[in-house]
Amino acid sequence: MDTDPHSSADAEVVYQVVSGDVNAFERLLKRYEAHVLRIVKKHIPFDKVEEVAQDVFIRIYQSLPNFKRDDSFKQWLSTITVRTCYDFWRKHYRYREIPISSLSEKHQAWLEEAMATRSSQSFDDIASQKEAREILDWALDRLSPEDRMVLELVYLEGYSVKEAAKLLGWSTAKVKVRSFRSRKKLHKLFKEMSLSRRK
Amino acid sequence: MNQNKDEHEALRQILRQAYKEKEKVEVGDEWQEQVMRRIRELGEIEASPSSLVMFEQLVWRLVPVTCLLILGLTLLLSSFDFISGYDVIQLLMNSTEEITLNQFFGL
Repeated sequence: MDTDPHSSADAEVVYQVVSGDVNAFERLLKRYEAHVLRIVKKHIPFDKVEEVAQDVFIRIYQSLPNFKRDDSFKQWLSTITVRTCYDFWRKHYRYREIPISSLSEKHQAWLEEAMATRSSQSFDDIASQKEAREILDWALDRLSPEDRMVLELVYLEGYSVKEAAKLLGWSTAKVKVRSFRSRKKLHKLFKEMSLSRRK
Repeated sequence: MNQNKDEHEALRQILRQAYKEKEKVEVGDEWQEQVMRRIRELGEIEASPSSLVMFEQLVWRLVPVTCLLILGLTLLLSSFDFISGYDVIQLLMNSTEEITLNQFFGL
């Protein structure tokens, strides 16, 4: 996590907004929209990105009185963004229809190719294929919101357990356990998939 | 076992790459205006105190009641005659002995 050069300027804008200058919030919005979008795009389905990004900024606005001047605004904002994404999945999970369709032959072939690959050049080629995204989404859809968030943060983004715990507001022990479980589930899913192709 | 590990690591690298690709998706420009519209509708933020501040306020509000309670209890307790547990037991033992001896000798 990088240090934040805007920190004191941000604190000043936060103070203005909390003091009643609602329009000053636009400065924070412009400064951090790309950062928030980058996080939201990775966690949320494409068609919901704008909606969730809006919710993130509304939540940030409403939480401004709780922002402590000494904290990094960027870090604080990242935490709210990740937690809003987690809340999206929790809500979504309640009303979701579990997709029963399994992946096509093409996807299964892609998976076998991916598992057999060893060169980094091939990694890029295979990852850029449409099947890569579809298989990733398929696998993530089969995980609980908790497992999904931890897997995305630790396994896919490379955050440490401590950083992920801070972003989600959980204990490190919980993140560790979830991380282990979700990784195991993911491997199991892929194993079942490749076995079904071999049958 | 090692082959399994290699396979998973290869898959992880590829999935990480695919996950990173999600960032490249283009999003419209109108949502920022929507945010500002919603924020203007919400109006100024009412600085709601944090739970720690609320707890502190509650503690201070309860201070006079607690003081009165302590004072009242002190007065109440000071009006009682204190007899230690040992004295009470001794008193009981003594009177029991007396009753028993009286009954025994028929006095």
